[in-house]
Amino acid sequence: MRTTGLLYDERFLLHKTGPDHPECPDRLVVIYRGLDEGGFLQKLIRIPATPAKMKWIEKVHSPRHVFRVEEASLLDMGELGSPDNQLSPETFDTAVLAVGGILNTVDYVMEGRVENAFCAVRPPGHHAEPNKALGFCYFNNVAIAARYLQAEWKIDRIGIIDFDVHHGNGTQLIFESDPGVFYYSIHEHPSFAYPGTGTEFEKGSGPGFGTTINSTMLPGEGDEEFKRKIKKDLLPAIEHFRPEVVLVSAGFDGHVDDDMSGIRLSTQCFSWIGQKIVDIAERHSNRRLISILEGGYCLKILPELVRNHVGILLGE
Amino acid sequence: MFINKSMTKNVITIGPDAGIEEARNLMEKNGIRHLPVVLENFKLVGIVTDRDIRSAEPSCVLPEAEIKAELERISRLKVKDIMTPDPVSISPANTLGDALVLMKKIKVGAFPVVDQEGKLKGIISIRDLMRAFINVLGLEEPGALLGIIVENRVGQMKKIVDAISEEGVSFGSILVAKHSDEDKRLVFPYLLTSNVARVKRKLKDSGFDLLDPMEWTLDQLPKR
Repeated sequence: MRTTGLLYDERFLLHKTGPDHPECPDRLVVIYRGLDEGGFLQKLIRIPATPAKMKWIEKVHSPRHVFRVEEASLLDMGELGSPDNQLSPETFDTAVLAVGGILNTVDYVMEGRVENAFCAVRPPGHHAEPNKALGFCYFNNVAIAARYLQAEWKIDRIGIIDFDVHHGNGTQLIFESDPGVFYYSIHEHPSFAYPGTGTEFEKGSGPGFGTTINSTMLPGEGDEEFKRKIKKDLLPAIEHFRPEVVLVSAGFDGHVDDDMSGIRLSTQCFSWIGQKIVDIAERHSNRRLISILEGGYCLKILPELVRNHVGILLGE
Repeated sequence: MFINKSMTKNVITIGPDAGIEEARNLMEKNGIRHLPVVLENFKLVGIVTDRDIRSAEPSCVLPEAEIKAELERISRLKVKDIMTPDPVSISPANTLGDALVLMKKIKVGAFPVVDQEGKLKGIISIRDLMRAFINVLGLEEPGALLGIIVENRVGQMKKIVDAISEEGVSFGSILVAKHSDEDKRLVFPYLLTSNVARVKRKLKDSGFDLLDPMEWTLDQLPKR
């Protein structure tokens, strides 16, 4: 058994995306209910969400971008840049609260109050670029966590593993020339899926060449190809990198029941990758692992996938 | 659309009486493979490529003495001795489409761009054309591609555009490709959204067939 933290706050539901939008508050409602019904809540250490200081968000995003998100929320502009990015007046505060909660989670893990943690947050983050909201994302949660680990906890080697079915274009862009942050993403091939980046030829740049790795999967592919690529592309590279902290962009939208992609992963396969990541943290980062929710839009299967994921973090 | 918007304007050139060594150095230093050969008034008289230079050089498997003698001889050669005189050129008023079709036919890597007086204005290479078409395809903008199979008749595209527009989604580009069945066309809208699932449902509800991504094809190989 490990001590595992949970970041969840009802205020994460306040970011509203309008009718028929896949990134809806109900995602967190069903996740939380699933954890409750599975008897997990008593086993998890609750981590509070407090608003992030702007200086941390601005480690990744331009003040102009932060201002734009705030302005678009407060003026109730409806969307930011694209109908993908729906806003309600509470969106900015919710996004700031999510980042703040994640930074609290970093502190909990680094202080040893928990060994690992799951952050059930909205809005998601991995598409957000320094100057742009994209693909339901406003602030890049995982990237801000990594910058915070570097600045506040003086961590030299951070490993980010992104198994959302879409490429984390924002995270890659932010760290592509940073040799201290290893970014691995496995996703549906960009010729067939949003956002159109993340080919296997993108490997980082300058001093960061080699610490960005992308694996792509073709529409229709499933567990076998996923496991093969993880074993070939991720495991040896991260073994070599030896992360001191592992961050996860946990997206559950590659599941066969989720219609956001053509990838067909089984429930069991998500448990498999969860266990692989826990094993990496066990070996290299003194169990320090923070898993942050990204995508996953099938409300029927999402609670089960997250419950299994959290169960693996707990080491049940 | 016109060549003069996509060509390299500050062209690195060489004179016909320059030595081969100079041509080679210019290419290496600037990382280029084509040097238009011009007179002092910028009149184009030829083009010299890295391949012309390599063909002129002695084979590296020759005995050393022979290589030395050959190099000695080559050092006296001038650009005009190895260049392609009067190369196929294109006008700044030609279009990218012209350049593509011509390049397929002539099989060169670049065209010098010359005006009506025969003076060099620029150079357009296969790389410039690639860049232009990456832009056209919207490949570097965040979005997602759909493949729709439609009957080859007027009005189909309007229905697709209407259905997608009703979802509030903008287009990065739309490609239409031939289908092996002549009565059909493949339509590939590149949508600036991550939320394609909803658009797909809408198109299906409007009676369109979505093509399995593994069956997508933009290119038809020439029939033998």
